[in-house]
Amino acid sequence: MISAQKQMITTGYAGLPFGKVSQCDAGSVGLLGVPSEVDSGPRYGASLAPDALRKMTGQLGTSLPVNGRDLGNLDLSGDWLGVLMQLVTQMADRDVVPVVLGGASDVASAVLAAFPDRPVVAAMPLARRDLIERPSNTTWVGLNGEQPADVWDQISQRMMDWRTARQLDEVQANTLDVPERAVLWIDLSVIDLGHAAGAVGLNPGGMKPETLVSVIGAMSCSWHAIVITGLAPALDTRGMSELAAIETLNAALRHG
Amino acid sequence: MGDAAQIQFDTIPSFLGVPVGDLEDLVPGQVAIAGYFCDNLSRPAAEQRYLARQLRYASGHGKAPANAIDLGDVNVFPLEPDKHFSAVVSQCVAVLETGARLVLVGGDSSGLKALGTAARQVTGADVPVIEVTGGIAGNLPNVQPVILSVDLQELAANWVSHPHRLAGLSPAQMAAQIVATPGNVIAAAIYGLAPALDNRGSTEVRAALAILREVSDRLEKGAG
Repeated sequence: MISAQKQMITTGYAGLPFGKVSQCDAGSVGLLGVPSEVDSGPRYGASLAPDALRKMTGQLGTSLPVNGRDLGNLDLSGDWLGVLMQLVTQMADRDVVPVVLGGASDVASAVLAAFPDRPVVAAMPLARRDLIERPSNTTWVGLNGEQPADVWDQISQRMMDWRTARQLDEVQANTLDVPERAVLWIDLSVIDLGHAAGAVGLNPGGMKPETLVSVIGAMSCSWHAIVITGLAPALDTRGMSELAAIETLNAALRHG
Repeated sequence: MGDAAQIQFDTIPSFLGVPVGDLEDLVPGQVAIAGYFCDNLSRPAAEQRYLARQLRYASGHGKAPANAIDLGDVNVFPLEPDKHFSAVVSQCVAVLETGARLVLVGGDSSGLKALGTAARQVTGADVPVIEVTGGIAGNLPNVQPVILSVDLQELAANWVSHPHRLAGLSPAQMAAQIVATPGNVIAAAIYGLAPALDNRGSTEVRAALAILREVSDRLEKGAG
């Protein structure tokens, strides 16, 4: 076996050693794959994302700006949503930042349920009602114009900050009002289909991958948790969507 | 077999359609372009060695540079690094001693390392390497010999079939940097791209071919 192959088997995402939550140091990250699958629609393959991202970081020689452990993939039998919430809570209690690689959006819902009172930064094309109804405000990145009127009304009434994909692509200096700490949810469907097709949602008016990376990287925000969903790597044979996810995660972790 | 078919069959694809020649054909100031089929020694990535072959196959259009020659491929010994390095260095020295300028095409960055050693042997001094991304460019005198390093991994993701990074240069930006390279460019290495061998690879191969043409033109110009 050549050394590169051996390394890919023995190390996890971006060269992180595999381990358990108890082995994660305070201030580090605990990376967990949760390979759930979308349950509707013609575009699927989100369950392949965690392993595809590990493989690509191995091929690219990516390293994270912080230390941590790769906790492997969650077993999706039984009450896995409950187990996921428990694991994320355990990590947060140890001052470890959970980095959760979905999977479908149900993964993010479980992570957010573990932080019910925390603000959220959500990069996604369509505002979700469950986020709007949280007690803390959500900052919206990359919305498109397809939101129902009542959703816009609620965002407006709650004075939530938001930017459309077009605003962010055209005005790079457009800074968002972000909290000091928040949960970051990146739904890869926020990226424009023409730039990176490997997402479970079709978004022809989405953000450029570079814009997503720069917008998230410009946020002087530290994260309670980071969750990435909606990546369907098999739909993007060039690997742009995986690359966007990897670079966005690195950009997010540079500020903690 | 008809004449047309015979001509097509006999045509040897060469870089940019330039004549194929050998060491004894070189004259001072000429640009010698050689393939470098080694991608396992420095920043290894399989299939970077195929770039030279793909660029030859893709070279069918446009006017061939008047003062360039396709020297064939450098002899390589990828499984014996010491033997490989000394052999590549001595071949590069032999080319540079004729007064010709040398472009190594394809493979990994180990070709650039050999070029640096060869240039030092020929000029008697260390020869600065100028990266296509800019780097130490600035106040170099026009007569200062330099080596141009064109790492095609610096291309932005939109231009390559298997991107390594989102941000990067477009081929036009890279060409502008090549034109603006200061000093007397005596050698260059174009490397770092593993071209996809199907239709998806056509964009990156055409971009690399345009970059090779710019490099050839810049070397022909010599002192900047």
